[in-house]
Amino acid sequence: MLLEAHKVSKAFGSFFAVREADLSVDEGEIVGLIGPNGAGKSTFFNCLAGDTVPTEGKIVFAGHDMTDASPEAHARAGIGRTFQVPATFEDMTVLENVMVGAYLRHPHHNDARDLARQTIELTGLRTQTDLPARSLGTPGRKRLEIARVLATAPRLMLLDESLAGLTPTELKEAIGLVRKIHEKGVTIVIVEHVMEVIMTLARRVLAFNQGHVIASGKPEEVVRDEAVIDAYLGRGRHTHRRRST
Amino acid sequence: MKIPAVTPTTLLAAGLLIYPLIFSGPFYLDIGVTFLLAAISASAWNIVGGYAGQVSVGHAMFFGLGAYAPLLCYTLFQWAPIAGIPFGIVFSIALAVLIGIPTFRLTGHYFSMATIAVAELIRIYFGTWDLVGAAIGLQGPATARGWWDLTFRSELPYYYIFLAVLAVLLHLTFLIEHRRFGYYLRAIKAGERAARSLGVPVQQIKIKALILSAVFTSLAGSLYSVKTGFIDPESGFGILVSVQMVIIAALGGAGKLYGPFVGALILIPLQTATNTWFGGGGTGLTFILYGGIIVLIARYEPGGLFELWERIAPRGWRRKNAS
Repeated sequence: MLLEAHKVSKAFGSFFAVREADLSVDEGEIVGLIGPNGAGKSTFFNCLAGDTVPTEGKIVFAGHDMTDASPEAHARAGIGRTFQVPATFEDMTVLENVMVGAYLRHPHHNDARDLARQTIELTGLRTQTDLPARSLGTPGRKRLEIARVLATAPRLMLLDESLAGLTPTELKEAIGLVRKIHEKGVTIVIVEHVMEVIMTLARRVLAFNQGHVIASGKPEEVVRDEAVIDAYLGRGRHTHRRRST
Repeated sequence: MKIPAVTPTTLLAAGLLIYPLIFSGPFYLDIGVTFLLAAISASAWNIVGGYAGQVSVGHAMFFGLGAYAPLLCYTLFQWAPIAGIPFGIVFSIALAVLIGIPTFRLTGHYFSMATIAVAELIRIYFGTWDLVGAAIGLQGPATARGWWDLTFRSELPYYYIFLAVLAVLLHLTFLIEHRRFGYYLRAIKAGERAARSLGVPVQQIKIKALILSAVFTSLAGSLYSVKTGFIDPESGFGILVSVQMVIIAALGGAGKLYGPFVGALILIPLQTATNTWFGGGGTGLTFILYGGIIVLIARYEPGGLFELWERIAPRGWRRKNAS
């Protein structure tokens, strides 16, 4: 088991954003987290990344207790993450952005630069290498975030809606990129709204609603789960006129 | 021997080296020395305030400690003032750590306000502390007892000492820029949360930057008091001292190697001019000048003049610069 979250809860005051969520991820898996807005998946995700300390529960990564560890300790341990709203370093070039990630395991300038260049090549950003990050569009930024994380040589990559808001062509390319990263032996946990992404990438899906994990299993099973359909479309839908799908 | 290529940097260095030979009058020398000192302190501030984006408005606390230490050593033990420089540095490092640990948990304006508060507290305390001369301040040796007192009648020796310190500081900054530390500083400025997620030990890097910055600011303070042979709470810890560093760096370009240099190149002659033309009303006018510059930079050129230059400079020149 690479990652194990056990009964993780996160409360803001008396409101539980996540309540007793369990997740276990094996090395080499791609696991999807789905759920409507405000279901708690982002909070749970931030607990996994070390950005938020859970109120209760335990998170173990590769045999180490990471529950209270800082985000930078997570990065050192091999957990990389992207942000829902891309948080690229705007005034730095694409190369410099990726180098910040590469420096984690390669303290020397030339090693870090070489690794960053390879990573940029892999993620298809080569023509933008020397452009400032702020000149990139949303797809480019999301790619850059992935490249930056990849340069830290993670064992587990947490993707927070990294593929949302892309055109169908860009989406196809992005899915290809995630596959490529997965083939390099990186385990992936992905939060996503776009069902197409989850269906094509994930072998296992957890559905969240109101802080609870309401279903888990193979993607095609989860999307047919009554509780999941209720969560997305509302419970009263049978009594009203059927919605067009 | 390989002849070094003519780059803007070598031209600049050459210009600074021969400046006192061309403008040898005491008035111009004084401007030169003041300019160098301002460039040193603003460049020191630039490490933490510019590169790491942690805008300290209380750097006078390091400047003041550095300024008091030499004259205090002279007053108490009759040592040569320069012997006090290491003490100023040691105290500044201690203060940097002491301040950095709690305040770097704060972000944005809160950090700036905390630094102002600490600097002001120290200024007020020094103003009532008899050991350091209270409100009157301290004085250095009136006449040199030997060369080691570094008390010269001419400004020329100070000019070259300050120039050497500035060169060392800029070279060090240049090295930082091209190493992991420098990349981490810029990443912290651009986004702390993202930087941490990539394994940047933000807290530790910020404190290191503050220490380095404090060391050179303290050294600038020492150079100031050794040269003038006088220090009081206002000229050491006054808010103007802090604000001047921020303004100079911001005017030229915070987080740019030559930003503070360019800022000092413009501000110091301007300040001298206003002081000379308008005489007595000096300090009041300086405040107005600072205020005006803050407004102009914030409104039109938040990146500073250096960035403006990069944007408007002819392409050919820029490319030559880059290579």
